[in-house]
Amino acid sequence: MAIHTSRPTAHKDPRPKGQFVRWRGRSLLGYCFVAPLLLWLAATILYPLGSAVVLSLQNVQIIGTSGTFVGLENYLRLLSSHNFWQAFGRSMVWVLGNALLQTLAAFTAALILNQRFPGQRFARIWIILSWIVPTVVVVILWRWLLSSSGVLNYLLVWTGVWREPIGFFGTANAATLSVIAINSWRWFPFMAVTVLAALQSIPSDLNEAAAVDGANAQQRFWQITLPLLQPVLFVLGLVGTLLSFNVFDVIWLLTGGGPSNATTTLPVLIYETAFAQYRLSQAAAISVLSGLALLLFAALFIRFMSPPQEDEP
Amino acid sequence: MKTDKLSILLLVAVALAALAGCALPTAPAASSGAEAGAGSAPVEVKIWHMEQPPHRVERIQQLIDEFNAANPGIVVSQEPQNWGEIYTKAPAAVAAGNAPELLFAIPDFTPILNRLGKVQPMEEFVAEMDALYSFYPSAVEPYTYDDHTWAVPLYNMAHSMWYRKSVFAEAGITPPTTWDELLVAVEALTQEGQYGIGLPANKQLYTDQVVYDFMVNAGADEIYNEDGTLRFNNPQTVEAYDFYRQLYQFSPPDSPNWTWGEAEACFANRTCAIIPQFTVITTYDTQAEGDPEDLGVMAIPHSSNVDASGTIAYSNAVMLLTEDPAKQAAAQEFLRFLLTPGNYGRFLNMEPGLFLPVTEAGSQDESFWNDPLAVKYQSQLETMVENAKNGRLFGFTNGNTFPSIAAISAQNLVAQTAQLVVIDGLSAADAVAEGQRLMEEALAE
Repeated sequence: MAIHTSRPTAHKDPRPKGQFVRWRGRSLLGYCFVAPLLLWLAATILYPLGSAVVLSLQNVQIIGTSGTFVGLENYLRLLSSHNFWQAFGRSMVWVLGNALLQTLAAFTAALILNQRFPGQRFARIWIILSWIVPTVVVVILWRWLLSSSGVLNYLLVWTGVWREPIGFFGTANAATLSVIAINSWRWFPFMAVTVLAALQSIPSDLNEAAAVDGANAQQRFWQITLPLLQPVLFVLGLVGTLLSFNVFDVIWLLTGGGPSNATTTLPVLIYETAFAQYRLSQAAAISVLSGLALLLFAALFIRFMSPPQEDEP
Repeated sequence: MKTDKLSILLLVAVALAALAGCALPTAPAASSGAEAGAGSAPVEVKIWHMEQPPHRVERIQQLIDEFNAANPGIVVSQEPQNWGEIYTKAPAAVAAGNAPELLFAIPDFTPILNRLGKVQPMEEFVAEMDALYSFYPSAVEPYTYDDHTWAVPLYNMAHSMWYRKSVFAEAGITPPTTWDELLVAVEALTQEGQYGIGLPANKQLYTDQVVYDFMVNAGADEIYNEDGTLRFNNPQTVEAYDFYRQLYQFSPPDSPNWTWGEAEACFANRTCAIIPQFTVITTYDTQAEGDPEDLGVMAIPHSSNVDASGTIAYSNAVMLLTEDPAKQAAAQEFLRFLLTPGNYGRFLNMEPGLFLPVTEAGSQDESFWNDPLAVKYQSQLETMVENAKNGRLFGFTNGNTFPSIAAISAQNLVAQTAQLVVIDGLSAADAVAEGQRLMEEALAE
């Protein structure tokens, strides 16, 4: 069964050449409109970025003090540092863990919310609760729920599922899993709502026609739903990974990077290096390397994961 | 085309208007500065302290309000901070020019700020207060180095072990004085729904403090040799960490995440039978039974290799961070007010039983001993004062002061070494060796 899912194609600009001058005028106006934004972005992104690079080439320790130029010394030191590579590895685990859990949770929630059932509208609003609650509240809530005298441990022991309370932040593996689960719980509604919006944009007649042709639910999902969601999933994959990599608040507030550095990802390491070890330039070097890693990831992701372009007529 | 040109002109006009709007407020600002210079505006003094619990903030505010009412030319205000962030926030504030005029400190925090060159020498003011109220020398010493005294001592704090007498009686235990007795007691007290002891393993100041309690009681209170080299890696320190490992088995599983609050909560809700803590009096009185007859406090037990119990003790102080003479004078006026008997006792009793006096006059201040909670828990307070007499602080022991301890303290390397033992499962000897390496690395930076 072949199902065609391509959308209406874009057409070439039909404007006659006589209208070129008018088009150029509009284009100039467009530049004028975006110029303030571009200037603002340059001031708020490029300047700090440049400052970070300059700082990473010096030996500044405490914020507010000055340093001297040391060239690539900070970078060479980092590249041979066990702590840096360990934090990099933990960041990878963190990103992959979050991607997996959030994708599963978001898809499940979106597919359920796309069905018609009583209370559907209420459920669609309710699901974003964890996303709109401030991080600090989320953290306090979960720390309380997961403490040794918390509700979850009480239930586990009371029901006999576990003999004694679990230290959800007490060991390296438990803490890693706990922070990933809590962060996924916090962020999956964003993904779910986006996927739900994309699901609702899929014309229902496509599914109906496939059903008439004998396609079952699974076939319809793989052959219709998923391909049509690909542009949205591409954006979510890119933006979600970048956002997830940079998460600091949830980890810091839940575990402070512990126990025994088990949840010290690169953003946590940057903070610790700058503000606990007072090695500001070294922290800047980690930031620059992290930025480069993310840039490389984004380039590769766009190169290999972009949805196929629609054919020109 | 006409429309486009008009749009561009409009856009430019709006942009210019916005820029002009931004520029306009600068003119009146000059005149307001002139007014301030004329001396009509009161001198503002901002205090940062790390005494966050609401009742402490409230008590400090009462004193501030009284001072402000009596001194119309000065406006003192407080901004509570927390110990978890102040090591980050204070240097950043100094760098940004937003530092408070007065900043509370512990001895190992002062050298960090001192490196930024903003901490003002206070020896003249300390001498003035000493003549009036007589400072305990041990309170001033940790802040005196490089020919100056860098902070004004305000209060002392020392750890004790807290327990319930009824819980001990039920288990047939008398308060332990040695490590052997403590281990037996903790094991016996670990029952269903109750952990024998609550010990932190967070990479945080509270863990530093509790681990150091055990180091003191193993005879490992000196982290430095006389010549300033490190002597952290020694048999006594290893003994302390090994004992910590043994006790930790009887601590709640979430204690790697604890700070002071979680430990107090664990004691208050009866999940922990014993906790080492500065005080639990307020929590116990307001959130637990509040029975002074049942609340037990004892010195931290010691190793058989040591003669008597000791504990960690902090002389807390306040630093002056402003170079403005008017603000300096106003800040000192507030500190005079605070250290005056009558005010000082009320200041210490912002957390009854936690903050102990650093002056002779303060220790006899009726307002200290007359607080309702101090009256109710007088015997516990007396024990705490007694325990504090054997107080030590890493980097500031036996008359020596090593400001470089700030690098070790800021990174919580004593606590990190504990994590190597109780979480990563390293032997105490290996962990302490690694701890010394980390400390040397921190000092080399």
